[in-house]
Amino acid sequence: MRNYLDDDRPIKLRRDRTNTPASGRPFVLAVVLCLVAGALIVLDRQGMITSIRLLAQQVVAPIAQQLTGLRDAMNDLAAAPRSEAGLQAHIQSLEQENSQLKADNLRLEQAGVENEFLRQQLQIQREQPWTLLGAEVTVRPPDAGRRVMTIARGTADGVTVGMAVIGQNPGGPAALVGVIETASAHTAEVLLITDVSSQISARVIHGTIASLGLTQGQWQRGSRLTLGQIDRSTQIAPGDSVVSAGLTGSLHVDLDLAAVPANIPIGSVDTVAASGQVQSAELRPFVDPDQVRYVWVILNQDD
Amino acid sequence: MGDSQPRRLEELLAREVGLILAIGVLALVQVTLLATPLGFSAPLILVLAICRTLIGVGSAFPDSGVMRGLRWALYGGLALDVFAATPLGSHALAILLASLAVAALTRRLRIEGPILPLLSILVSSLIYELVLALLLQPGPIDWESTARVALLPSMLVAIILTLPTFFMLRWFLRGQL
Repeated sequence: MRNYLDDDRPIKLRRDRTNTPASGRPFVLAVVLCLVAGALIVLDRQGMITSIRLLAQQVVAPIAQQLTGLRDAMNDLAAAPRSEAGLQAHIQSLEQENSQLKADNLRLEQAGVENEFLRQQLQIQREQPWTLLGAEVTVRPPDAGRRVMTIARGTADGVTVGMAVIGQNPGGPAALVGVIETASAHTAEVLLITDVSSQISARVIHGTIASLGLTQGQWQRGSRLTLGQIDRSTQIAPGDSVVSAGLTGSLHVDLDLAAVPANIPIGSVDTVAASGQVQSAELRPFVDPDQVRYVWVILNQDD
Repeated sequence: MGDSQPRRLEELLAREVGLILAIGVLALVQVTLLATPLGFSAPLILVLAICRTLIGVGSAFPDSGVMRGLRWALYGGLALDVFAATPLGSHALAILLASLAVAALTRRLRIEGPILPLLSILVSSLIYELVLALLLQPGPIDWESTARVALLPSMLVAIILTLPTFFMLRWFLRGQL
Protein backbone atom coordinates (compact mmCIF):
# COMPACT_ATOMS: atom_id res chain seq x y z
CA MET A 1 0.00 0.00 0.00
CA ARG A 2 1.27 3.47 -0.79
CA ASN A 3 2.65 5.43 2.15
CA TYR A 4 1.24 8.93 1.61
CA LEU A 5 3.29 10.42 4.47
CA ASP A 6 6.69 9.55 2.95
CA ASP A 7 5.80 9.57 -0.72
CA ASP A 8 6.32 12.96 -2.44
CA ARG A 9 4.66 11.98 -5.66
CA PRO A 10 1.47 13.99 -6.26
CA ILE A 11 -1.76 12.24 -5.47
CA LYS A 12 -3.67 11.48 -8.66
CA LEU A 13 -7.02 13.22 -8.63
CA ARG A 14 -10.17 11.57 -9.91
CA ARG A 15 -10.51 13.94 -12.85
CA ASP A 16 -6.95 13.33 -14.06
CA ARG A 17 -6.71 10.91 -16.88
CA THR A 18 -4.99 7.74 -15.70
CA ASN A 19 -1.81 6.66 -17.45
CA THR A 20 -2.52 3.00 -16.92
CA PRO A 21 -3.35 1.25 -20.15
CA ALA A 22 -7.03 0.64 -20.71
CA SER A 23 -8.18 -2.90 -20.07
CA GLY A 24 -9.82 -5.15 -22.63
CA ARG A 25 -13.26 -4.94 -21.00
CA PRO A 26 -14.72 -2.41 -23.45
CA PHE A 27 -13.58 -4.51 -26.38
CA VAL A 28 -15.07 -7.66 -24.91
CA LEU A 29 -18.33 -5.76 -24.42
CA ALA A 30 -18.11 -4.46 -28.00
CA VAL A 31 -17.68 -7.96 -29.38
CA VAL A 32 -20.63 -9.20 -27.30
CA LEU A 33 -22.85 -6.33 -28.46
CA CYS A 34 -21.82 -6.89 -32.09
CA LEU A 35 -22.74 -10.56 -31.74
CA VAL A 36 -26.11 -9.55 -30.26
CA ALA A 37 -26.71 -7.17 -33.20
CA GLY A 38 -25.67 -9.88 -35.67
CA ALA A 39 -28.01 -12.38 -34.04
CA LEU A 40 -30.87 -9.86 -34.22
CA ILE A 41 -30.22 -9.34 -37.94
CA VAL A 42 -30.36 -13.09 -38.58
CA LEU A 43 -33.52 -13.50 -36.49
CA ASP A 44 -35.22 -10.57 -38.21
CA ARG A 45 -34.32 -11.85 -41.67
CA GLN A 46 -35.85 -15.19 -40.73
CA GLY A 47 -39.00 -13.35 -39.61
CA MET A 48 -38.75 -14.46 -35.99
CA ILE A 49 -38.69 -10.96 -34.47
CA THR A 50 -40.12 -8.94 -37.34
CA SER A 51 -43.48 -8.72 -35.60
CA ILE A 52 -41.82 -7.06 -32.59
CA ARG A 53 -40.18 -4.47 -34.83
CA LEU A 54 -43.47 -3.82 -36.64
CA LEU A 55 -45.26 -3.45 -33.31
CA ALA A 56 -42.69 -0.92 -32.13
CA GLN A 57 -43.05 0.95 -35.42
CA GLN A 58 -46.79 1.00 -34.99
CA VAL A 59 -46.44 2.52 -31.52
CA VAL A 60 -44.21 5.38 -32.68
CA ALA A 61 -45.95 6.01 -36.01
CA PRO A 62 -48.39 8.68 -34.69
CA ILE A 63 -45.55 10.61 -33.04
CA ALA A 64 -43.41 10.30 -36.16
CA GLN A 65 -46.31 11.56 -38.24
CA GLN A 66 -46.72 14.60 -36.01
CA LEU A 67 -43.02 15.42 -36.14
CA THR A 68 -42.87 15.01 -39.92
CA GLY A 69 -45.88 17.31 -40.21
CA LEU A 70 -44.08 19.82 -38.02
CA ARG A 71 -41.00 19.63 -40.25
CA ASP A 72 -43.09 20.08 -43.39
CA ALA A 73 -44.83 23.07 -41.82
CA MET A 74 -41.46 24.62 -40.99
CA ASN A 75 -40.23 23.97 -44.54
CA ASP A 76 -43.37 25.59 -45.92
CA LEU A 77 -42.87 28.57 -43.67
CA ALA A 78 -39.27 28.96 -44.80
CA ALA A 79 -40.08 28.56 -48.47
CA ALA A 80 -43.24 30.65 -48.56
CA PRO A 81 -43.07 33.69 -50.87
CA ARG A 82 -43.32 37.02 -49.11
CA SER A 83 -46.01 38.24 -51.47
CA GLU A 84 -49.76 38.72 -51.36
CA ALA A 85 -52.09 35.80 -50.81
CA GLY A 86 -53.76 36.38 -54.16
CA LEU A 87 -50.51 35.78 -56.01
CA GLN A 88 -50.01 32.53 -54.13
CA ALA A 89 -53.52 31.38 -54.99
CA HIS A 90 -52.91 32.21 -58.65
CA ILE A 91 -49.69 30.18 -58.68
CA GLN A 92 -51.46 27.23 -57.10
CA SER A 93 -54.24 27.47 -59.66
CA LEU A 94 -51.69 27.48 -62.53
CA GLU A 95 -49.85 24.51 -61.00
CA GLN A 96 -53.06 22.54 -60.74
CA GLU A 97 -53.97 23.37 -64.33
CA ASN A 98 -50.49 22.44 -65.53
CA SER A 99 -50.66 19.18 -63.59
CA GLN A 100 -54.05 18.38 -65.08
CA LEU A 101 -52.86 19.10 -68.64
CA LYS A 102 -49.78 16.89 -68.23
CA ALA A 103 -51.89 14.08 -66.81
CA ASP A 104 -54.37 14.46 -69.69
CA ASN A 105 -51.56 14.41 -72.23
CA LEU A 106 -50.13 11.25 -70.76
CA ARG A 107 -53.55 9.65 -70.63
CA LEU A 108 -54.00 10.44 -74.34
CA GLU A 109 -50.67 8.77 -75.19
CA GLN A 110 -51.70 5.68 -73.27
CA ALA A 111 -55.10 5.71 -74.98
CA GLY A 112 -53.35 5.80 -78.38
CA VAL A 113 -51.35 2.71 -77.50
CA GLU A 114 -54.46 0.95 -76.23
CA ASN A 115 -56.27 1.68 -79.50
CA GLU A 116 -53.40 0.16 -81.44
CA PHE A 117 -53.58 -2.92 -79.24
CA LEU A 118 -57.32 -3.12 -79.94
CA ARG A 119 -56.79 -3.06 -83.69
CA GLN A 120 -54.20 -5.79 -83.39
CA GLN A 121 -56.64 -7.88 -81.31
CA LEU A 122 -54.12 -8.06 -78.45
CA GLN A 123 -56.47 -6.77 -75.80
CA ILE A 124 -59.73 -5.03 -75.29
CA GLN A 125 -60.08 -1.46 -74.20
CA ARG A 126 -60.28 -1.19 -70.51
CA GLU A 127 -60.95 1.44 -67.97
CA GLN A 128 -58.54 1.83 -65.11
CA PRO A 129 -60.51 3.09 -62.13
CA TRP A 130 -58.12 2.42 -59.33
CA THR A 131 -59.36 2.27 -55.76
CA LEU A 132 -57.02 4.61 -53.92
CA LEU A 133 -56.14 4.96 -50.28
CA GLY A 134 -54.44 8.19 -49.20
CA ALA A 135 -51.53 7.96 -46.78
CA GLU A 136 -49.21 10.43 -45.15
CA VAL A 137 -45.46 9.86 -45.26
CA THR A 138 -44.27 9.53 -41.67
CA VAL A 139 -40.59 8.60 -41.86
CA ARG A 140 -37.85 9.27 -44.38
CA PRO A 141 -34.77 7.07 -44.92
CA PRO A 142 -32.37 7.65 -42.01
CA ASP A 143 -29.27 6.82 -44.01
CA ALA A 144 -27.97 7.49 -47.45
CA GLY A 145 -27.77 3.88 -48.58
CA ARG A 146 -31.43 2.86 -48.75
CA ARG A 147 -34.53 4.30 -50.42
CA VAL A 148 -37.60 3.56 -48.33
CA MET A 149 -40.29 5.50 -46.55
CA THR A 150 -42.92 4.65 -43.98
CA ILE A 151 -46.56 5.55 -44.50
CA ALA A 152 -49.33 5.81 -41.95
CA ARG A 153 -51.52 3.06 -43.39
CA GLY A 154 -51.36 -0.67 -42.81
CA THR A 155 -53.12 -3.98 -43.10
CA ALA A 156 -56.03 -2.64 -41.04
CA ASP A 157 -56.73 -0.28 -43.96
CA GLY A 158 -56.43 -3.02 -46.58
CA VAL A 159 -52.79 -2.47 -47.48
CA THR A 160 -50.84 -5.60 -48.41
CA VAL A 161 -47.33 -6.34 -49.61
CA GLY A 162 -46.80 -5.69 -53.30
CA MET A 163 -49.35 -2.90 -53.75
CA ALA A 164 -48.31 0.05 -55.88
CA VAL A 165 -47.92 3.46 -54.27
CA ILE A 166 -48.35 6.61 -56.34
CA GLY A 167 -47.68 10.26 -55.63
CA GLN A 168 -47.92 13.61 -57.33
CA ASN A 169 -45.53 16.52 -57.39
CA PRO A 170 -46.91 20.02 -57.94
CA GLY A 171 -47.20 20.55 -61.67
CA GLY A 172 -46.74 16.87 -62.59
CA PRO A 173 -48.90 13.84 -63.25
CA ALA A 174 -49.73 11.22 -60.64
CA ALA A 175 -47.07 8.52 -60.98
CA LEU A 176 -45.53 5.47 -59.35
CA VAL A 177 -43.45 6.16 -56.23
CA GLY A 178 -42.80 2.65 -54.94
CA VAL A 179 -44.20 -0.66 -53.83
CA ILE A 180 -45.32 -1.81 -50.37
CA GLU A 181 -42.47 -3.92 -48.99
CA THR A 182 -43.76 -4.78 -45.51
CA ALA A 183 -46.99 -3.93 -43.74
CA SER A 184 -48.09 -3.96 -40.12
CA ALA A 185 -51.55 -3.13 -38.79
CA HIS A 186 -51.26 0.65 -39.07
CA THR A 187 -48.00 1.35 -40.92
CA ALA A 188 -46.30 0.11 -44.04
CA GLU A 189 -42.85 0.48 -45.58
CA VAL A 190 -42.62 1.54 -49.19
CA LEU A 191 -39.62 0.47 -51.25
CA LEU A 192 -39.08 3.46 -53.53
CA ILE A 193 -38.68 2.91 -57.27
CA THR A 194 -35.28 4.59 -57.09
CA ASP A 195 -33.83 1.94 -54.73
CA VAL A 196 -31.43 -0.44 -56.41
CA SER A 197 -33.48 -3.46 -55.31
CA SER A 198 -36.67 -2.14 -56.95
CA GLN A 199 -37.54 -3.76 -60.28
CA ILE A 200 -40.78 -2.97 -62.13
CA SER A 201 -41.85 -4.20 -65.57
CA ALA A 202 -42.60 -1.28 -67.85
CA ARG A 203 -43.64 -0.19 -71.31
CA VAL A 204 -41.92 2.64 -73.13
CA ILE A 205 -44.31 4.49 -75.41
CA HIS A 206 -42.83 5.71 -78.70
CA GLY A 207 -45.54 7.06 -80.99
CA THR A 208 -48.09 4.26 -81.20
CA ILE A 209 -45.65 1.53 -80.26
CA ALA A 210 -45.23 0.30 -76.70
CA SER A 211 -42.24 -1.92 -75.97
CA LEU A 212 -41.55 -3.94 -72.87
CA GLY A 213 -38.62 -3.29 -70.57
CA LEU A 214 -37.58 -3.49 -66.95
CA THR A 215 -37.08 -0.42 -64.77
CA GLN A 216 -34.62 -0.64 -61.93
CA GLY A 217 -33.71 1.86 -59.26
CA GLN A 218 -30.23 3.30 -59.57
CA TRP A 219 -29.98 5.74 -56.70
CA GLN A 220 -27.13 3.86 -54.99
CA ARG A 221 -25.37 3.69 -58.37
CA GLY A 222 -25.38 7.39 -59.01
CA SER A 223 -28.54 8.06 -60.98
CA ARG A 224 -32.25 7.47 -60.42
CA LEU A 225 -33.89 4.95 -62.75
CA THR A 226 -32.87 2.87 -65.73
CA LEU A 227 -35.01 1.06 -68.23
CA GLY A 228 -33.25 -2.10 -69.38
CA GLN A 229 -33.83 -5.30 -71.38
CA ILE A 230 -35.27 -3.46 -74.40
CA ASP A 231 -34.71 -5.04 -77.78
CA ARG A 232 -32.23 -3.05 -79.84
CA SER A 233 -34.59 -2.96 -82.82
CA THR A 234 -37.11 -1.01 -80.72
CA GLN A 235 -37.14 2.72 -81.34
CA ILE A 236 -37.02 4.84 -78.22
CA ALA A 237 -36.06 8.47 -77.86
CA PRO A 238 -35.58 11.04 -75.10
CA GLY A 239 -38.95 12.32 -73.93
CA ASP A 240 -40.80 9.02 -74.46
CA SER A 241 -43.12 8.17 -71.58
CA VAL A 242 -42.69 5.00 -69.53
CA VAL A 243 -45.61 3.33 -67.76
CA SER A 244 -45.87 0.14 -65.71
CA ALA A 245 -46.58 -3.01 -67.70
CA GLY A 246 -48.34 -4.98 -65.00
CA LEU A 247 -46.17 -8.02 -65.60
CA THR A 248 -43.88 -7.67 -62.61
CA GLY A 249 -45.36 -10.69 -60.88
CA SER A 250 -43.73 -12.92 -63.48
CA LEU A 251 -40.22 -11.57 -62.81
CA HIS A 252 -39.63 -13.86 -59.82
CA VAL A 253 -38.00 -11.15 -57.75
CA ASP A 254 -38.03 -11.31 -53.96
CA LEU A 255 -41.07 -9.11 -53.51
CA ASP A 256 -44.54 -10.21 -54.49
CA LEU A 257 -45.14 -7.40 -56.94
CA ALA A 258 -48.08 -8.88 -58.79
CA ALA A 259 -50.33 -6.16 -57.36
CA VAL A 260 -48.71 -3.40 -59.46
CA PRO A 261 -51.33 -2.61 -62.12
CA ALA A 262 -50.53 -1.71 -65.71
CA ASN A 263 -50.38 1.83 -67.12
CA ILE A 264 -49.18 3.65 -64.02
CA PRO A 265 -46.95 6.50 -65.24
CA ILE A 266 -43.35 6.03 -64.09
CA GLY A 267 -41.16 8.56 -65.89
CA SER A 268 -39.78 9.80 -69.17
CA VAL A 269 -36.70 8.74 -71.11
CA ASP A 270 -33.73 11.00 -70.53
CA THR A 271 -30.90 9.32 -72.47
CA VAL A 272 -30.62 6.11 -74.49
CA ALA A 273 -27.62 3.76 -74.68
CA ALA A 274 -27.16 0.57 -76.75
CA SER A 275 -25.04 -2.42 -75.79
CA GLY A 276 -24.99 -5.70 -77.74
CA GLN A 277 -28.47 -6.87 -78.69
CA VAL A 278 -30.21 -4.76 -76.09
CA GLN A 279 -30.48 -1.12 -75.22
CA SER A 280 -31.16 0.75 -72.02
CA ALA A 281 -32.32 4.20 -71.06
CA GLU A 282 -31.88 6.55 -68.16
CA LEU A 283 -35.29 7.64 -66.86
CA ARG A 284 -36.43 10.80 -65.14
CA PRO A 285 -39.26 9.83 -62.74
CA PHE A 286 -42.44 11.89 -63.02
CA VAL A 287 -42.57 12.08 -59.24
CA ASP A 288 -39.51 12.69 -57.10
CA PRO A 289 -39.97 10.21 -54.22
CA ASP A 290 -37.89 12.46 -51.97
CA GLN A 291 -40.38 15.31 -52.33
CA VAL A 292 -43.72 13.58 -51.79
CA ARG A 293 -45.47 14.11 -48.49
CA TYR A 294 -48.74 12.40 -49.30
CA VAL A 295 -49.17 9.26 -51.39
CA TRP A 296 -51.96 6.97 -52.50
CA VAL A 297 -51.91 3.17 -52.31
CA ILE A 298 -53.65 1.45 -55.22
CA LEU A 299 -55.81 -1.06 -53.36
CA ASN A 300 -57.25 -2.74 -56.44
CA GLN A 301 -58.13 -2.25 -60.05
CA ASP A 302 -61.52 -3.00 -61.59
CA ASP A 303 -60.90 -4.95 -64.78
CA MET B 1 -28.71 -0.49 5.26
CA GLY B 2 -30.60 -3.57 4.23
CA ASP B 3 -32.35 -2.05 1.25
CA SER B 4 -29.42 -0.07 -0.15
CA GLN B 5 -28.52 -2.71 -2.73
CA PRO B 6 -32.04 -2.99 -4.29
CA ARG B 7 -32.29 0.79 -4.39
CA ARG B 8 -28.96 0.94 -6.21
CA LEU B 9 -30.19 -1.60 -8.73
CA GLU B 10 -33.41 0.33 -9.21
CA GLU B 11 -31.46 3.52 -9.77
CA LEU B 12 -29.28 1.83 -12.36
CA LEU B 13 -32.30 0.40 -14.16
CA ALA B 14 -34.14 3.72 -14.07
CA ARG B 15 -31.07 5.49 -15.44
CA GLU B 16 -30.71 2.94 -18.22
CA VAL B 17 -34.38 3.15 -19.19
CA GLY B 18 -34.07 6.95 -19.19
CA LEU B 19 -31.04 6.69 -21.48
CA ILE B 20 -32.89 4.34 -23.86
CA LEU B 21 -35.89 6.68 -24.01
CA ALA B 22 -33.72 9.75 -24.59
CA ILE B 23 -31.80 8.06 -27.39
CA GLY B 24 -35.06 6.79 -28.87
CA VAL B 25 -36.40 10.33 -28.96
CA LEU B 26 -33.20 11.57 -30.63
CA ALA B 27 -33.45 8.78 -33.23
CA LEU B 28 -37.03 9.84 -33.89
CA VAL B 29 -35.88 13.42 -34.29
CA GLN B 30 -33.22 12.22 -36.76
CA VAL B 31 -35.66 10.39 -39.02
CA THR B 32 -38.37 13.07 -38.93
CA LEU B 33 -36.97 16.55 -38.33
CA LEU B 34 -33.39 16.31 -39.59
CA ALA B 35 -34.09 15.53 -43.24
CA THR B 36 -31.50 17.03 -45.57
CA PRO B 37 -31.99 18.25 -49.15
CA LEU B 38 -29.83 15.27 -50.17
CA GLY B 39 -32.69 12.85 -49.47
CA PHE B 40 -31.53 11.33 -46.19
CA SER B 41 -31.47 12.52 -42.63
CA ALA B 42 -28.44 13.89 -40.80
CA PRO B 43 -26.72 11.00 -38.92
CA LEU B 44 -27.28 12.44 -35.46
CA ILE B 45 -27.23 9.09 -33.66
CA LEU B 46 -23.93 8.06 -35.25
CA VAL B 47 -22.34 11.38 -34.33
CA LEU B 48 -23.69 11.20 -30.77
CA ALA B 49 -22.42 7.65 -30.24
CA ILE B 50 -18.97 8.50 -31.59
CA CYS B 51 -18.73 11.70 -29.55
CA ARG B 52 -19.83 9.81 -26.42
CA THR B 53 -17.16 7.18 -27.08
CA LEU B 54 -14.49 9.88 -27.57
CA ILE B 55 -15.52 11.65 -24.38
CA GLY B 56 -15.40 8.28 -22.62
CA VAL B 57 -11.89 7.60 -23.93
CA GLY B 58 -10.76 10.99 -22.62
CA SER B 59 -12.39 10.65 -19.22
CA ALA B 60 -10.77 9.66 -15.92
CA PHE B 61 -12.18 6.16 -16.30
CA PRO B 62 -11.82 5.32 -19.98
CA ASP B 63 -13.08 1.75 -19.67
CA SER B 64 -16.47 2.68 -18.31
CA GLY B 65 -16.58 5.73 -20.59
CA VAL B 66 -16.06 3.62 -23.70
CA MET B 67 -18.59 1.07 -22.51
CA ARG B 68 -21.15 3.85 -22.11
CA GLY B 69 -20.42 4.94 -25.67
CA LEU B 70 -21.00 1.37 -26.87
CA ARG B 71 -24.33 1.24 -25.06
CA TRP B 72 -25.36 4.49 -26.75
CA ALA B 73 -24.37 2.93 -30.07
CA LEU B 74 -26.48 -0.18 -29.46
CA TYR B 75 -29.59 1.68 -28.25
CA GLY B 76 -29.38 4.30 -30.99
CA GLY B 77 -28.81 1.71 -33.70
CA LEU B 78 -31.76 -0.40 -32.60
CA ALA B 79 -33.99 2.69 -32.47
CA LEU B 80 -32.97 3.60 -36.02
CA ASP B 81 -33.72 0.05 -37.15
CA VAL B 82 -37.22 0.33 -35.72
CA PHE B 83 -37.89 3.68 -37.39
CA ALA B 84 -36.18 2.85 -40.68
CA ALA B 85 -37.77 -0.53 -41.44
CA THR B 86 -34.36 -2.16 -41.69
CA PRO B 87 -33.60 -5.59 -40.19
CA LEU B 88 -33.29 -5.16 -36.43
CA GLY B 89 -29.58 -4.89 -35.59
CA SER B 90 -28.35 -3.48 -38.91
CA HIS B 91 -27.79 0.11 -37.81
CA ALA B 92 -26.78 -1.12 -34.36
CA LEU B 93 -24.00 -3.27 -35.82
CA ALA B 94 -22.81 -0.46 -38.10
CA ILE B 95 -22.62 2.10 -35.27
CA LEU B 96 -21.08 -0.41 -32.85
CA LEU B 97 -18.29 -1.26 -35.30
CA ALA B 98 -17.69 2.45 -35.93
CA SER B 99 -17.54 3.15 -32.17
CA LEU B 100 -15.25 0.18 -31.60
CA ALA B 101 -12.86 1.38 -34.28
CA VAL B 102 -12.81 4.91 -32.85
CA ALA B 103 -12.19 3.59 -29.31
CA ALA B 104 -9.36 1.37 -30.53
CA LEU B 105 -7.70 4.11 -32.59
CA THR B 106 -7.93 6.86 -29.96
CA ARG B 107 -7.31 4.95 -26.72
CA ARG B 108 -3.71 6.15 -26.46
CA LEU B 109 -4.33 9.68 -27.74
CA ARG B 110 -5.04 12.83 -25.80
CA ILE B 111 -8.41 14.15 -26.90
CA GLU B 112 -8.13 17.91 -27.07
CA GLY B 113 -9.30 20.37 -29.68
CA PRO B 114 -11.45 19.75 -32.73
CA ILE B 115 -9.12 17.70 -34.95
CA LEU B 116 -9.55 14.30 -33.31
CA PRO B 117 -13.38 14.41 -33.21
CA LEU B 118 -13.46 15.41 -36.89
CA LEU B 119 -11.05 12.64 -37.91
CA SER B 120 -12.98 10.14 -35.79
CA ILE B 121 -16.25 11.06 -37.50
CA LEU B 122 -14.60 10.69 -40.90
CA VAL B 123 -13.41 7.17 -40.06
CA SER B 124 -16.63 6.16 -38.34
CA SER B 125 -18.86 7.48 -41.16
CA LEU B 126 -16.82 5.45 -43.60
CA ILE B 127 -17.24 2.27 -41.53
CA TYR B 128 -20.94 3.00 -40.88
CA GLU B 129 -21.84 3.49 -44.54
CA LEU B 130 -19.74 0.54 -45.71
CA VAL B 131 -21.32 -1.82 -43.19
CA LEU B 132 -24.83 -0.59 -44.04
CA ALA B 133 -24.13 -0.98 -47.77
CA LEU B 134 -22.92 -4.55 -47.24
CA LEU B 135 -25.89 -5.41 -45.03
CA LEU B 136 -28.69 -3.68 -46.92
CA GLN B 137 -27.80 -3.38 -50.60
CA PRO B 138 -28.70 -6.42 -52.66
CA GLY B 139 -26.40 -7.89 -55.27
CA PRO B 140 -23.01 -6.58 -56.32
CA ILE B 141 -22.28 -3.11 -54.96
CA ASP B 142 -21.00 -0.38 -57.25
CA TRP B 143 -18.57 1.11 -54.75
CA GLU B 144 -17.68 4.14 -56.85
CA SER B 145 -21.29 5.28 -57.11
CA THR B 146 -22.03 4.33 -53.51
CA ALA B 147 -19.13 6.51 -52.43
CA ARG B 148 -20.36 9.40 -54.57
CA VAL B 149 -24.06 9.37 -53.68
CA ALA B 150 -24.07 7.89 -50.17
CA LEU B 151 -20.69 7.90 -48.49
CA LEU B 152 -19.36 11.37 -49.24
CA PRO B 153 -22.62 13.30 -48.65
CA SER B 154 -23.21 11.40 -45.43
CA MET B 155 -19.66 12.11 -44.22
CA LEU B 156 -20.05 15.78 -45.07
CA VAL B 157 -23.29 16.11 -43.11
CA ALA B 158 -21.79 14.17 -40.19
CA ILE B 159 -18.76 16.47 -40.09
CA ILE B 160 -21.01 19.53 -39.97
CA LEU B 161 -22.77 18.06 -36.93
CA THR B 162 -19.62 16.93 -35.17
CA LEU B 163 -18.17 19.93 -33.37
CA PRO B 164 -21.43 21.39 -31.98
CA THR B 165 -22.46 17.90 -30.84
CA PHE B 166 -19.07 17.06 -29.32
CA PHE B 167 -18.66 20.25 -27.32
CA MET B 168 -22.30 20.34 -26.25
CA LEU B 169 -22.15 16.73 -25.14
CA ARG B 170 -18.87 17.30 -23.28
CA TRP B 171 -20.42 20.26 -21.48
CA PHE B 172 -23.53 18.23 -20.71
CA LEU B 173 -21.49 15.31 -19.33
CA ARG B 174 -18.94 17.47 -17.49
CA GLY B 175 -20.06 16.02 -14.16
CA GLN B 176 -19.17 12.49 -15.27
CA LEU B 177 -15.68 13.16 -16.71
